[in-house]
Amino acid sequence: MYISAQITVNTEFAEILIAELAEIGFDTFTENPEGIEAFALEKDFEQSQLDEVINRYTLLTEIEYKIYKIEKQNWNEEWEKNYDPIRVKEKILVRATFHKLDENYPYEIIIDPKMSFGTGHHATTSLMLENQLEVNHQGKNVLDAGTGTGILAIMAEKLGAKSIIANDIDEWPVANTKENIGLNGCKNIDVYQGTSIQLQDKNQKFDIVLANINRNVLIDEIPVYSRLLVNDGILVLSGFYKDDLDDIDQISKEYHLTRVKLKIRDNWVSPIFVKNNEQ
Amino acid sequence: MAKEITGYLKIQVKGGSANPSPPIGPALGSKGLNIMEFCKQFNARTQDQMGKVLPVLITIYSDKSFEFIIKTPPAPVLLLEAIKKQSGSAEPNRNKIGSVSWDQVKQIAEIKMPDLNCFVLESAMKLVAGTARSMGITVSGTPPWAN
Repeated sequence: MYISAQITVNTEFAEILIAELAEIGFDTFTENPEGIEAFALEKDFEQSQLDEVINRYTLLTEIEYKIYKIEKQNWNEEWEKNYDPIRVKEKILVRATFHKLDENYPYEIIIDPKMSFGTGHHATTSLMLENQLEVNHQGKNVLDAGTGTGILAIMAEKLGAKSIIANDIDEWPVANTKENIGLNGCKNIDVYQGTSIQLQDKNQKFDIVLANINRNVLIDEIPVYSRLLVNDGILVLSGFYKDDLDDIDQISKEYHLTRVKLKIRDNWVSPIFVKNNEQ
Repeated sequence: MAKEITGYLKIQVKGGSANPSPPIGPALGSKGLNIMEFCKQFNARTQDQMGKVLPVLITIYSDKSFEFIIKTPPAPVLLLEAIKKQSGSAEPNRNKIGSVSWDQVKQIAEIKMPDLNCFVLESAMKLVAGTARSMGITVSGTPPWAN
């Protein structure tokens, strides 16, 4: 559920009001001739904090607001209805349920994305899939951090992984991954809502960690991935630009990870690291 | 052939925080754009400005592709950051919520220059100082041009 606050106020106050509302949980704003509309996740919204800000403005200008609740729905449906299948290296076909089967591809993945990330259309997803083709998954334990549609976990199973754990911090991708696991007849994937940090306490180890997230989350979690990997384990990353590679390399090095491969497309990168033997 | 533009969307989003929720979801989704693509790009480009409100202008084309430019944060956002206060003041001249130095005004003006209709830094600084005053923030000291 989302909160929309439609605030009627002289537009000369718009920028200042936006700066203040950003401090109390609102994350996105639009301006209009009557004022502004501010959006927040319901969990980040406190009516009393909004009232406090609005009350201070009443001394200066005419201001009023209305709150609307917006139910979460699949706003990406229009795009998802029409998306074209994706082919990776003539080996992988990523398609929707409404596309025809194409037997010329050794690996086929069916994805019904429902507003989750990962259809192969984005350079980072297809680079991850390409890198997966070059990593031996046979009989391996795999972690897919920030799974989105579950596409990389599904690919891992198709490449022979023995057990795959997938996670995402959001609720929708977790539900969506479960659907896509079913569509692809996968049996070895477990998915949970949360982060990879939670796995550290379970003394679990992985042969391969896949993570297509973003620079900041990766920088935070690379130490965790390193701890979760066995010696000689493989880490495949993406979700950041070439300019950020130095930062990723630096932290990886600190945590015993050596970069062995790199793919670049449209300025997005996907490196592969190997964990060095620890003494 | 140049692509036909079918619309623009002007929004302000916190850096690194774009997600397929309103208004981004409904606005881009209704035009058949892939919302997830926008979010991934926007978030990757703003990793250095996490949590800071950034104006974005999205141009939408008839082939369902899009481009966007990210502008500098609004001056009030930078000013609030500068005084490290949780909120601005809506009572200018009565309830001062903090103060900034002319050096800080200069730093903010330099950040804002690309988006302001100013050719000289001094004019940009005067604009920023004006915004500060209307937020109830004092600019301490004397302006560099008064020396």
